[in-house]
Amino acid sequence: MQPLRFLLLTLALPILAQAQSVEPTGPIQTELRDPSVPQALRNVKPAPATQGAALQAQVERKLRESFDAADVAGSGSLTRAQAQAAGLGVVAKNFDRIDTAGTGKVTFEDVKRYLRSRGAKL
Amino acid sequence: MGIRSLFRSSWFVASVTAVALTVSACGGKSPDGVGVVPPPPPPPPTLPPPSNGNQPYSDPTVYSSARFASLASAVEAAAITRHQITLRGNTIDYTATTGLLTARNATAGAEASFFYVAYTMDNQNAATRPVTFFYNGGPGSATVWLHMGSFGPKRLVTGDPSTNGATPFPLVDNDETLLDTTDLVFVDAIGAGYSEAIAPNNNQTFWGVDQDARVFRDFVVRYLTVNNRLASPKFLFGESYGTTRSAVLANLLETAGIQLSGVVLQSSVLNYNSNCGVVNVVLSCSGYLPSYGATGAYFNLAVPAPTDLLVFEQQLRDFTVNTYAPADLVFLTNLTLPAPSVLDQLQGFTGIPVSLWSTNFNLAPGTFQSQLRPGQLIGRYDARVSAPVGSPLASQGDPSSTLITLQFAAAISSYLVDFLQYGNGSTYVLLGNAINTWDFSHDRNQLPDTIPDLAAALAQNPDLKVLAVNGYHDLATPFYQTEVDLARLGNLPNVSVRNYAGGHMTYLDDTSRPLERADLAAFYQSALAQ
Repeated sequence: MQPLRFLLLTLALPILAQAQSVEPTGPIQTELRDPSVPQALRNVKPAPATQGAALQAQVERKLRESFDAADVAGSGSLTRAQAQAAGLGVVAKNFDRIDTAGTGKVTFEDVKRYLRSRGAKL
Repeated sequence: MGIRSLFRSSWFVASVTAVALTVSACGGKSPDGVGVVPPPPPPPPTLPPPSNGNQPYSDPTVYSSARFASLASAVEAAAITRHQITLRGNTIDYTATTGLLTARNATAGAEASFFYVAYTMDNQNAATRPVTFFYNGGPGSATVWLHMGSFGPKRLVTGDPSTNGATPFPLVDNDETLLDTTDLVFVDAIGAGYSEAIAPNNNQTFWGVDQDARVFRDFVVRYLTVNNRLASPKFLFGESYGTTRSAVLANLLETAGIQLSGVVLQSSVLNYNSNCGVVNVVLSCSGYLPSYGATGAYFNLAVPAPTDLLVFEQQLRDFTVNTYAPADLVFLTNLTLPAPSVLDQLQGFTGIPVSLWSTNFNLAPGTFQSQLRPGQLIGRYDARVSAPVGSPLASQGDPSSTLITLQFAAAISSYLVDFLQYGNGSTYVLLGNAINTWDFSHDRNQLPDTIPDLAAALAQNPDLKVLAVNGYHDLATPFYQTEVDLARLGNLPNVSVRNYAGGHMTYLDDTSRPLERADLAAFYQSALAQ
């Protein structure tokens, strides 16, 4: 059984290589191995490696963007229902702890204050 | 391995051959899969009848990894099989669930059909029993390496880094499985394995850093919801590009209110902008030097020969920070070489001669692979695997990858049928073409830097724990560069790093796998104690 199987494998290879140029069908379809990027992307200028305050600013921007995306009305604040409907579960689930004033609405500053109180460097 | 399983392996190869022949004969098809009527795949293999609680599933769906392919609709169905494994004297009953779940989005509806294999310990409390999602990277790779080689209940014995291991690789009960610690869900990315987009989306819809992470989030939510596991402690375990995915996905899940307990990063590429092996532009390769040293020492080329790998690696880190990295920066700025004594030290640490350091001071990993041992090419994924230039093992540029790829391809195909009792006539695609048209842009950068994503996940969930595991002999994602990348987060007690002898897939090494398992068990324990 074993030599037969080996023969089948070696036979399959060149045929597989031929097939790749037409329509991929084999288990391996690309030359590019993890991690790598296509040729066109290999000459882009690498982004600087942020840390400290610059990294914190990036984190804050990312969090603010997800808050703003949920705030479809652009009002600057969210109710629990709005946060829930927009998939902003982190706000909906912790709403009462974020809404310390009990107004029924939270702003991004409220969210930041809550995350800071739990140890986030923001 | 009985006659039946050997037959299955041959069946797999025969089916690949048959399909390839059909396509070659037809010719002229679009490489993108647009307007292509794919050749009918062979019928699903014959499965055993239901017995002992097993429910085989013969899946008639034809799956395609082509760029613009999509399913008209998807069915959520699975094969269910019952098994036992004995670990350190304890017998564990577990269930394997192999099938498809549909990732959905509140606004867009059904997005994609994910193929997964879940191993769950029977009779556990869902509120306390952890569940871990495993995925390989690529992007475009099926989760075959982690599934068949790492911490699942079964694993293939590869003999790595030896090139003389028994073939076909024996499939054995895995003494190092994490099944006693966590349920394990191995899931394939869209356009890999049997995972495919659902119309009006197509596979390309999800071939991007953000698109992929979003649809993975929706799969995770779907899995947790369908299986009543929303309350379970949740972990992510990604490898290589899978670590890029994990950083982005962890942040998306935390934002969605799905709190994670831990993230395991196996052989990280968290920042494509810091890995000189990925880009052509001038970028320092100094993050690779400690890996070059480990490899030189492995081949007895480091002088003086180090007696302790841990001590040696600390010397290499120190030398990189204090001497090589600054000298490399000067070299990259004005092509000036440092004093000859630095070149002598580099030769001593790595075995690469002064003459080569003089002409290739910013030594790239590809050059190191071909130049360390005259006449030999060493591996990229595992630099300890060496093959003569011109030999079949060296013919595809990475002997360590060629050594295992076809073995894993054959093994997963027979395993799905024989052990998991899931039958499908389509080719299980190990590595699709996704990487060629992947949208690598992320967070205003053309190449992803996901350290801010990891930082945002940690900001949203201060209890989240992160463990990075790396191989000293990995020339694809060098361990020291990962340490440098993670150091950007500051000195966080929640983030730790463990390194082992071995390559990209440290778990293939018979000495390192038990060590890694012990570190993972301790990691889970500490994450669950939060």
